Amino acid sequence: MGRLTDKYCIVGVGETSYSKNSGKTTRAMGAEAIRNAMRDAGLGADQVNGVLSYHGGDSTAGPEIAADLGIRPDFYMDCSGGGSSTEALVGLAIGAIEVGMCETVAIFRSMNGYSEVRIGGTGRRAAAPVAGSQLLSRPYGMVSAGQNFAPVFMRHMMEYGTTSAQVAAVKVAHSKHASNNPKAFYRKRYTVEDVLNSRWICKPLHLLDCCVETDNATALIVTSAERAADLRRRSIYVMGVVGRVTKKRGDTFYNDAPITDVAGKYAAERVFGMAGIGPEDVHVTGSYDAFTFTTMLQLEDYGFCRKGEGGEYVSSGIIELGGKRPNNTSGGHLCEGYTHGMSMVIENVRQLRGQADDSCPAWEDGVHTHDYAEGGCRQVREAEISMNLGWANPVTGSALILRR
Amino acid sequence: MPQVEYRGMLLVVPDNDSEFGGYFEAAREHRLVVKRCANCGLLRFPPGSGCPWCTSLDWIWQDVSGKGTIYSYEIIAHAIQPGFRDFTPYPVVIVELDEQRGVPTPQDGLRLIANLVDVDFQPEAEANVAIGERVDVVFQDLSPELSLPQFRLTGELPAGPVWQFPG
Repeated sequence: MGRLTDKYCIVGVGETSYSKNSGKTTRAMGAEAIRNAMRDAGLGADQVNGVLSYHGGDSTAGPEIAADLGIRPDFYMDCSGGGSSTEALVGLAIGAIEVGMCETVAIFRSMNGYSEVRIGGTGRRAAAPVAGSQLLSRPYGMVSAGQNFAPVFMRHMMEYGTTSAQVAAVKVAHSKHASNNPKAFYRKRYTVEDVLNSRWICKPLHLLDCCVETDNATALIVTSAERAADLRRRSIYVMGVVGRVTKKRGDTFYNDAPITDVAGKYAAERVFGMAGIGPEDVHVTGSYDAFTFTTMLQLEDYGFCRKGEGGEYVSSGIIELGGKRPNNTSGGHLCEGYTHGMSMVIENVRQLRGQADDSCPAWEDGVHTHDYAEGGCRQVREAEISMNLGWANPVTGSALILRR
Repeated sequence: MPQVEYRGMLLVVPDNDSEFGGYFEAAREHRLVVKRCANCGLLRFPPGSGCPWCTSLDWIWQDVSGKGTIYSYEIIAHAIQPGFRDFTPYPVVIVELDEQRGVPTPQDGLRLIANLVDVDFQPEAEANVAIGERVDVVFQDLSPELSLPQFRLTGELPAGPVWQFPG
């Protein structure tokens, strides 16, 4: 397919509100999010003919939601997957358009991630019998994402001297960003001490090292640059994309040592090569923050700093608004709400448009104060290139590079 | 089909489970086994269906010593499963067995997840859990037909550096 740059665009983004009790079905939320993305793009139902989604047995199938909006799909797939699926599906959407299966694809994720099916494996997920590979971990009380990933961070602390206070800076930065995001579920600003004084979940993780499970749906729309040219918003181009790159021995998180290397180690060269840029060219990142340390690990393995220096990088101020390369300017999963990654791509699209929906009265016209004080602006100055680092787990990840 | 209710979970080993059937049969006899490739002879864990190094689908079960070193760990303070609430705080450890360390590549090793337990199968005290400590397998009988491999500190002198979370 060659260089993607200039060929495909994200033309619409949308979401529902973030809550702990939506009081709606995933069908209703999915329809609302896609409708918002279509209105954002200025697309009618007859102009969308592809639907892609991802789920963990906790959502509604694409055709039902398409039907609610009058969309007749020439192509749809509902893919199994959580974090790092968004970026992968952008790549699959481009592939489907490139071969002529459809012209314009809506990608959605809809979940009652707090009120119905929590990520951590309680509720419906806990009722199923434990068999097969699950027997390797669940009988030992190792169930949730935090419990599964924490030993990776523990080992990183041992190998590189990374500290709790360093990764707490990720929460501090993202909470600063969320305080300027009226949509965010948590808008309070936190300090490093707040994180370190919060209760233990699974050592080395504190409560405030963990993201906030919420009910929500998120959507974005991908089409060719040709079609994008006539639409409502500025075109945001895909420069590079890699999907669900996985380490060797990917059946566990601990059999391809060092376990402190994550999928980005393998994904970086491919995605930067496709885009023809390097980490230093990226203005804003969206490194998946299921936990404070997942942001750090990925920034390291994609080369934003040297291996082992992630703790220093995330606590240096670089990742904060006003810093050299802000990360998760919406507040991310730690503060805005957990979406399995889609919200971070949505945020980067808004940043590249110059239309971060902050508290600046004329944000939609691209007028921003760049005053990042609490309750103010969150638009990054002259953001031209963004990068999303999607995380499924320590061994699997995706990445997406966008430009304005 | 061995099955047992343990801490609110139904643990099941179906009769057709070619990955874990033999593993739990051996555990019932208090033996720790891994798969040995019938073609290249390399050991592997978890007991996957094929050899990650030569792709052979032929294998036999092989006993291992059960001795190893803690590679990483966590201390779970907040139980997700309600059945584990009276077990907190409990350590989950990744153990690297003595057999086949760093073979066939420096990245490889036979690594298992378990709880670090004391003589009564209660959680080992956090102060005693550290990367690098020596451990040995013990078997927790959940029922006459299902036993769970767990690990216990041996008190041996660690061969390398020991590291403990300072927090």
